[in-house]
Amino acid sequence: MRQALVLAVALAAVVAVPWIAPIYHVLLMLPFMAYGVVLLGLNLLFGYTGLVSFGHALFIGLGAYTAAFLTGLFKVRALEVILLTAAVVAAVVAMPVAAFCVRYVKIYFGMLTLAFGMVFYTFLLKFYRLTGGDEGMPVARPFLLGRDLGDMPKIEYLAGPYYYYSLVVLIVAIAVMWRIVHSPFGLCLKTIRDNPAKAETLGISVPHYRWTAFVISAVYAGVGGALLATPTGNVDPTLAYWTHSGNLVFMTLLGGFASFFGPLVGAFVFIYLQDFVMSVVPYWRLVFGAILAALVIFAPGGLLGLFPRRRVIEAA
Amino acid sequence: MILQAENVTKYYGEFRALHDVTLGVSAGEFVSIIGPNGAGKSTLLNLLTGLARPSSGTVRFKDRDITGIGPVKLAKLGMARSFQLVQIFPDLTVRETLQAAVAARLRRGRRIFASLRGDRDIRDGAEEVAALFGLDAKRRALARELPQGDKKLLDVASAFALRPEIILLDEPTSGVSTADKTRIMEILVRAAKTIGLQAIIQVEHDMDIVFGFSDRIVALHQGAVLADATPREVQADQRLVDMVVGRRRGASA
Amino acid sequence: MSALVSILMGGVFHASILFLVAAGLQVVFGVQKVFNLACGSFYALGAYFGVSAVQWYVAAGGPPAFFIVPLIAAGALIGVTGVIVERGLLSFVYERDETFQLLLTFAVVLMMEDAIRLTWGTAPVSTSGLYLVYGQARLAGAAVPVYNLIVIAASLVIALGIGWLLTRTAFGRIIRATADNREMAEALGVDMRRVYAKVFTLGTALGTLGGALVIPATAAMSEMGVELIVEAFAVVVIGGLGSMRGAFVGALVVGILRAVAISVYPELEMLIIYLIVITVLVFRPRGLFGGAAA
Repeated sequence: MRQALVLAVALAAVVAVPWIAPIYHVLLMLPFMAYGVVLLGLNLLFGYTGLVSFGHALFIGLGAYTAAFLTGLFKVRALEVILLTAAVVAAVVAMPVAAFCVRYVKIYFGMLTLAFGMVFYTFLLKFYRLTGGDEGMPVARPFLLGRDLGDMPKIEYLAGPYYYYSLVVLIVAIAVMWRIVHSPFGLCLKTIRDNPAKAETLGISVPHYRWTAFVISAVYAGVGGALLATPTGNVDPTLAYWTHSGNLVFMTLLGGFASFFGPLVGAFVFIYLQDFVMSVVPYWRLVFGAILAALVIFAPGGLLGLFPRRRVIEAA
Repeated sequence: MILQAENVTKYYGEFRALHDVTLGVSAGEFVSIIGPNGAGKSTLLNLLTGLARPSSGTVRFKDRDITGIGPVKLAKLGMARSFQLVQIFPDLTVRETLQAAVAARLRRGRRIFASLRGDRDIRDGAEEVAALFGLDAKRRALARELPQGDKKLLDVASAFALRPEIILLDEPTSGVSTADKTRIMEILVRAAKTIGLQAIIQVEHDMDIVFGFSDRIVALHQGAVLADATPREVQADQRLVDMVVGRRRGASA
Repeated sequence: MSALVSILMGGVFHASILFLVAAGLQVVFGVQKVFNLACGSFYALGAYFGVSAVQWYVAAGGPPAFFIVPLIAAGALIGVTGVIVERGLLSFVYERDETFQLLLTFAVVLMMEDAIRLTWGTAPVSTSGLYLVYGQARLAGAAVPVYNLIVIAASLVIALGIGWLLTRTAFGRIIRATADNREMAEALGVDMRRVYAKVFTLGTALGTLGGALVIPATAAMSEMGVELIVEAFAVVVIGGLGSMRGAFVGALVVGILRAVAISVYPELEMLIIYLIVITVLVFRPRGLFGGAAA
């Protein structure tokens, strides 16, 4: 009950933001929503399966460059098509990558994902004829639901139609992920997180489940990356850099990986705090590094972990 | 004959852990494997569950060679196993643990978009096993918060939730109090009848448990079968008892 | 021929720097089981501190030919930051899952990058052309800066020194015992806190020394840390986590391959290294010199 109430209030607030908040804050919500989608996926792997990826920026990069290629090179402007293509591209790349990575756990899994991420980063950087190198590529303004909103001033476009479009994508992403983690599949992932050897004796084929979770998380990262590209207007290789992957894990930990909504809280706090700190001093990394260190040492459960958690009462 | 080991020998390097062991288990049997430390009990259990590969000889389950088959396929074939050290999912509740096992048995673990809560088969299956093992009052407790005896029960219960045809237990009562031991064994035997389990094989040190519950005892000594007899016959042979459990009867190792 | 030699020597020079940083990573991972993402940051710190030390030295009128003395001293000295990071941060999370240890070192990466910007500014700093005081040597027709040869030699000496430390001293025995079996070492009365503090400081000092030694040949930039960590990472993966011999061979592989790739087909520069990393991880997950695969 209480959770439903908090959710309803949060949703109402997010819907109302473009009407009540200054335009600057409205625009900050866009990366929040895009990262929200990414982190929902990442946490399926981190919080639910127990695998920490240090390479998920790879899939953000894939999604974002898909948007750039489609709107630029291929003149495909429909956002629906872009998001769908980003999802498919991310899934197609993730399938073989996941097949390699899920054979390992812990530090080796983290290193292998990092290596794959850096392969893509280097590719983006070095094959500049195709990708624009470190300059990156522009992303043209996509059509929303088949409507070309090219005449609208950019700010108005982003703070209005694009804002609500992102919100709908985020809500759909939340609903689908909620379904996934509350399915028999989601339960099996949790057994693997807690005790893979025991899961196997129950007949749960651990690599298959890890693979599936990895591919789903990559699809989420791809869609989130495509969503992120439009407000930025330009994509560049740093999207796929390993520190970006590290920041994703940071955001998840910040909100709390043990809870479903933790990563969303993490993304929100990270983006607003980063913006605030950067407006005061240019050294946001120093402050954020200290915050991360404090989190790891004192509050590994993240912000949501700070509240005494009531046991979720399930229907008997 | 549901499970059959024929002339299995197992070397670890130069060391011969098992020598020419032949052992068959039929439907309806409760077999205890006993022997002093290093007699090869765990090795035999590992061979019987296809976890280790015999240096020579074969292990067949339902007329199928299960050498090196791996735990996942073994569970699907209908053989369950528990380990000496209690294996639980610390952050799952009792109910979730049993639901996971039932979902795996029903081959529904790969249903990504189905509702777990709406799946009556999984829910009922888990409730049934929880009731059988007296865990229904604790079904919302996290596994890591259970007392040791209940952890052990949950571990075995999740294996039973697979509704196997045969179950192999490595010291099902190790590390729990004497009072809990008998309780666990009684629950186990009753549950076995209810779910229609065909055979139980256990490795056990506690001779009261062994004599009190098994139909048949296989005594191992230095990697070979020393005796394969009924509890009555074993009990009558004082020299044999001394050899496999040491001087004092009933002392747990 | 001369072109090949100069490519190879460039590769070996880079390899000797990489070896130092990777050796720091290895000794920490071997003993503490912490994969230190911040080893690149220590490298950057050593580089900046080295530049400052040399600038003070020159300003104080020290003879240019001996600038390598304050450089090495500065590199070794700034290694004490390792104690602060170990005692102040890492020591709190040894009992936790390694994910948290990894994230803590990532926090150090973030902090260090800005701490360097805060101290030395955002513009690259360098020791200018100071390293040319040693002139150039001719090797099979190729001109190789003598300074590079000094660094290669220094790195070899340090490699031998580490080998001696690990195999011939009491401290080395303790380190190896701890790496093999921590509980056993603790039971034998080894004070883990002191061992960890010393080992982490040693690891840090190797990184800062690497940074200090590279600096006369290039300029210090605040991103150099996060860029080097991925190369050092490649080195230890290829060589095998925790293995010193692995760090040595891995550094040579990465250093030389990178040099060859840059001159033959620049687009492939790091790509080829990551592809090797992935190949190694897939076929020999413990690396070329690691123990048996899990």
